[in-house]
This record gives sequence, structure tokens and C-alpha cells, in this order.
Amino acid sequence: MSLPIASAGATILKVAYSSVLASVAVSVVFALAVLGLSRASEMRRVNRQAAAGAYTLMAVCSLGICAAAVIWGLILVGQKS
Amino acid sequence: MGVDILLVIVVLTALAFDFTNGFHDTANVVATSISTRAMGPRRAIAMASVLNFAGAFISLKVADTVGQGFVDTHAVTTTVIFSGLVGAIAWNLITWYFGLPSSSSHAMIGGLVGAVFAAAGWGAVDGHGVVTKLIVPAIVSPFVAFLAAAIAVLLSYRIIGQARPGSVNRGFRLGQLVSSGLLALSHGTNDAQKTMGVIALALVASGKISAAHFHVPLWVVIAAASAISLGTFSGGWRIIRTLGTRIIAMDPVQGFVAQTASAVVILAASRGGYPLSTTQVVTGGITGAGAGKRLSAVRWGMAGEIVIAWVLTLPCAALMAALVYGIVSLFGSGDAGPLVLSALMLVALAAALLRARPAGRARGALEGEHP
Repeated sequence: MSLPIASAGATILKVAYSSVLASVAVSVVFALAVLGLSRASEMRRVNRQAAAGAYTLMAVCSLGICAAAVIWGLILVGQKS
Repeated sequence: MGVDILLVIVVLTALAFDFTNGFHDTANVVATSISTRAMGPRRAIAMASVLNFAGAFISLKVADTVGQGFVDTHAVTTTVIFSGLVGAIAWNLITWYFGLPSSSSHAMIGGLVGAVFAAAGWGAVDGHGVVTKLIVPAIVSPFVAFLAAAIAVLLSYRIIGQARPGSVNRGFRLGQLVSSGLLALSHGTNDAQKTMGVIALALVASGKISAAHFHVPLWVVIAAASAISLGTFSGGWRIIRTLGTRIIAMDPVQGFVAQTASAVVILAASRGGYPLSTTQVVTGGITGAGAGKRLSAVRWGMAGEIVIAWVLTLPCAALMAALVYGIVSLFGSGDAGPLVLSALMLVALAAALLRARPAGRARGALEGEHP
């Protein structure tokens, strides 16, 4: 009886910490994307094109990571096992 | 033939429950988007409705858990399932009428367990399954959403601290279009499946599906997805006000984080086959997003009231279902009891909808903010 309970507890724990990690990671990376877009706009306004390009790249990469994380998460949920 | 009529009643009742589930839980999905003005109510509800439908097709693990994980399938009859559903619907309507967020999922499973207990005793209830697949995840999930949202808000504010508030808010409002969609999708993956599990259980009880080869037929998936989607579209304006503004006043950063944390927790639970309460998870996410910014921003009194409603849901739905089973049994083992109660339930539902008319004013006020 104790083995199934321990196993169930371990599964719940895994779901819990992966949820926390994934939520924090997606939010932080999205915040980086917003920061990148905001800073890129500021840099363009003061005519610093190189810095604007770097911030845009940061934003695009961050958005790409967010999109990939969401798609990967949905694929994981849809998997049979 | 009699059994078939009862099965039809049970399937229709389950779909009616699914509709009330969508109706009741609309707030969970759209409240933060509306509160932060990321979306207008109509658009938010329409999007939630479509994604609820789509989400129901992603996974069937929760349906398997509901169908096989809580009660002995041999002790379940269509009358028992009918009683469980009516008990759950009654509890949903009571909490909806008083504007209290509760858990439709726990009401459904509480109702099922209560009816099985009334019909066959404790021996037919899988205590281990109820504890490990329902009670523990129910207790843990809001705290996980709370913790995830609190940490994420804290870190997000650190990152965007020096940026201009206008562009930050615009960016996170756009992000909320995705996080809100993800939350609606996750709602479909978890909540719609509970009804699928119950209908599949009814099909097992009536001999249409073998217990050894338990599965959810495609028509059940489509019917349950459609019912929850229509329910979501019909909305739940009273509860939107509670979740959207009375717990905390949110900014777009908090809204995005609360929705993301809630969606991730629900999706992870769906992968594990845990039938969570989306209401509890979303409330945990919203409260965590508030606490991550400033502890005093959270209206803890309101959060406390919600916790009381959570605690009451399982036993009250179980009690109501047991009561319903007792009443149905008075009419004998045929179809008369379920037929009489179905008629009474329809009258109660119509009365509740008529009494809900004043809520239209709240809807008008909200829509006025989003032309």
C-alpha cells in the first residue's frame, strides 16, 4: 500500500515542480522579449541602430523560445504515455 | 428498452452538467483578460469557447481517471450516475447563484462518490484513488499555481523594471492574447474530459462498453466538447466580477503571469490524468500574481471566502447526490424517478436563468468599458 502512495506522491511532486519551472521560465523569457522590444524602440528613437538591432534580436529569440515551449508543452500533453 | 431511456437521460444530464461547467467556469478563463483590458468580454468569451472545444481533443487521460479511478465500475448503475450528476448540478447552481467560485469538477466527482456510497456503501469507493488522484492534487495545485505566479511576477518586474510602462503594458496585453488562449485550451483538456469519463462510465454501466476495454468513443468527445464550449459562450458574469476585480486589481504583467501559471499547471495535470479544479488553480495563480507584486494588494478576505467554498464543494455535492439517489429510489428501480427529477431540474434551471437577468447589467457595464 505504501509503495503505490509513494509512487503517486512522486508523480504529483514531478508535476508540481515542472509546472513551477515551466511557468517561471515562460514568463521570464516573455518579459525579456517585452524588454527587448521596448528597448529597441528607445534605441531607434535616439538613432542607435546597432543597439536597436541587438535588442530586436533578443526579443525575436525570446518570442521564438516562448512559442517553442508552448508547442512542446502541448505535444507532451497530447502524447499517449 | 428501459435501460436505454435511462442512458439517454444520463447522457443528456451529463452534457447539461458540462454546459453548466462551461457556464460556471467562463470566468476562470476570461476574467484576467477582461480585468486588464487585454480583450473585450465578447472577444474573450468567443475565443475561450472555441479553444475549450479544441482543448477537449488533445488528451483523454483525465477521462480515464474519472471513469476508472474513483469508484468500482461494477457498483455503478445509470441511476447512480444520474444521481451524482444531479447533485453536482444542484451544487453548481447554488454557488453560481450566490456568486461564489467553487469547483465544478469536485462537485461532479463528489456527486459520483456520494451516489455510489448511497447505493453500494464505502466498499465501492476507491479511497486510494480519491486521495491520490483527487484530494492531494486538489490541495497542491492552487499552491503550485500561487508559487509559480508569485516567483514569475517577482522576476518579470525585475526584468522590465527600467522599461517604459506604456510599452510594457502593451507587450503584456498582447501576450495575454496567447496566455488567455492557452488557459482556455487547458480548460478544455481537463474539464471537458470529466464529462467524457462520466458518460463512458454510464456506457459501461449499461453494457455498451466492456469494463475491461474502457475507452471514450469519439461521439462522446465531440458531444462533451460542444457542450462545454456552448456553456463557456453563454458566460458567467457574476463570477467574472469576483475573480477579475475582487481578489486583486491586476495589471497586464500580473494578468499574463497568472494565466500562464494556471494554464501550465492545468496542462501538466492533464498529462498526469489529474482532474483538477480549474477554478482553484486560476484563483491560486491570480492570488500569487498579486502577492508577487505586493502582499497587501491581495484581498485575503475574499480569497478566504473562496477557500471555504472549495472545502464545502466535495462533501456538499456528495451529500446532495446521496439525497437525490434516495429520492430517485423512492420511485423504484425504473425510469420514473430520473424522469421526474429531470423535469424538476429543467424547471429549476429555467428559474435560475430567469433570476440571472440582473447580471445582464454587469455585462453591459463591462462591455461599455470595451467598445
